[in-house]
Amino acid sequence: MAKEIYYNDVNVGDDMPSFTSDPINRTHLVRYAGASGDFNPLHHDNTFVAMFGMERVISHGMLVMGITGRAITDWIPQKHLKSFKVRFSGMTEPCDLNDMDNTSARATLTVTGKVVEKKEEGGDNLVVCEVQTADALGGVKITGTFSAALPKK
Amino acid sequence: MADKSKIGTEFEPFVFEVEKGKIMEFALAISQKEGRDQVDQIYIDSATAKKEGYKDIIPPPTFQTCFALWGGGGLMPMITALNINLGRLLHGEEEYDYLAPIHPGDVITCQTKVKDVYEKEKKNKPGKFMEFTVLETEMKNQKGEVVIKARSTLVER
Repeated sequence: MAKEIYYNDVNVGDDMPSFTSDPINRTHLVRYAGASGDFNPLHHDNTFVAMFGMERVISHGMLVMGITGRAITDWIPQKHLKSFKVRFSGMTEPCDLNDMDNTSARATLTVTGKVVEKKEEGGDNLVVCEVQTADALGGVKITGTFSAALPKK
Repeated sequence: MADKSKIGTEFEPFVFEVEKGKIMEFALAISQKEGRDQVDQIYIDSATAKKEGYKDIIPPPTFQTCFALWGGGGLMPMITALNINLGRLLHGEEEYDYLAPIHPGDVITCQTKVKDVYEKEKKNKPGKFMEFTVLETEMKNQKGEVVIKARSTLVER
């Protein structure tokens, strides 16, 4: 859970603390399917994706956004979050449990971000940040922005 | 060509009742955890949430994705009504404005409409276009307060 953070202590150019996920495996996808209600077989059924010539299932984009959100709320208390927007730019394949050495990098996501703007707007002290989520091979999954209204000291 | 006449189309509203157990399940899923004690306790424990300045437990920032999927019969009715080719569909963007908190027991009514329809020429294939449909969903609680405004951009390759 994020500690309190103050507008005065955040500066344009500051990095948000980076966050790295566990390697996403198929059980994570099944758990997310049940939690979200997104049962598109693209995310769990290899016989379905084979019909499109795909080698394996892919992660829900919204799970990747969820992991990105977790990185944000680990840094800034969620009650301050005002907006969160992402663009999906790449698919994420889960790791293969029988070949972790060669597959965990593609399924391990790191979220990084930077403060790009501070402004006082409508009585709020807003901090605007850019955020990016990429796998350990450099493949970008999400680029986005979020804003938070922080208290002043 | 992008069919601009779709702009303004409204879909049947759908209702989602927020439950503690569903919030926990969602928090575990996005946290890649198996036990309730392994995730941020503002999603699990009312007393902790209150101590952290919330009225009660809150859901994670992307929880509202399950409102349509569990409450509204999914995206399919909308995709069918908009005549979008499922085989070419990509989720392009997702955006949330957080206007008021959500807590267990809240009953959220969601109203989705087509906010925009446009097309862009493919960078590597001149003369070929991708179509974009922007859906905006207003989510109101039982008191009539808008809690979240969501925008989803669907892309047809």
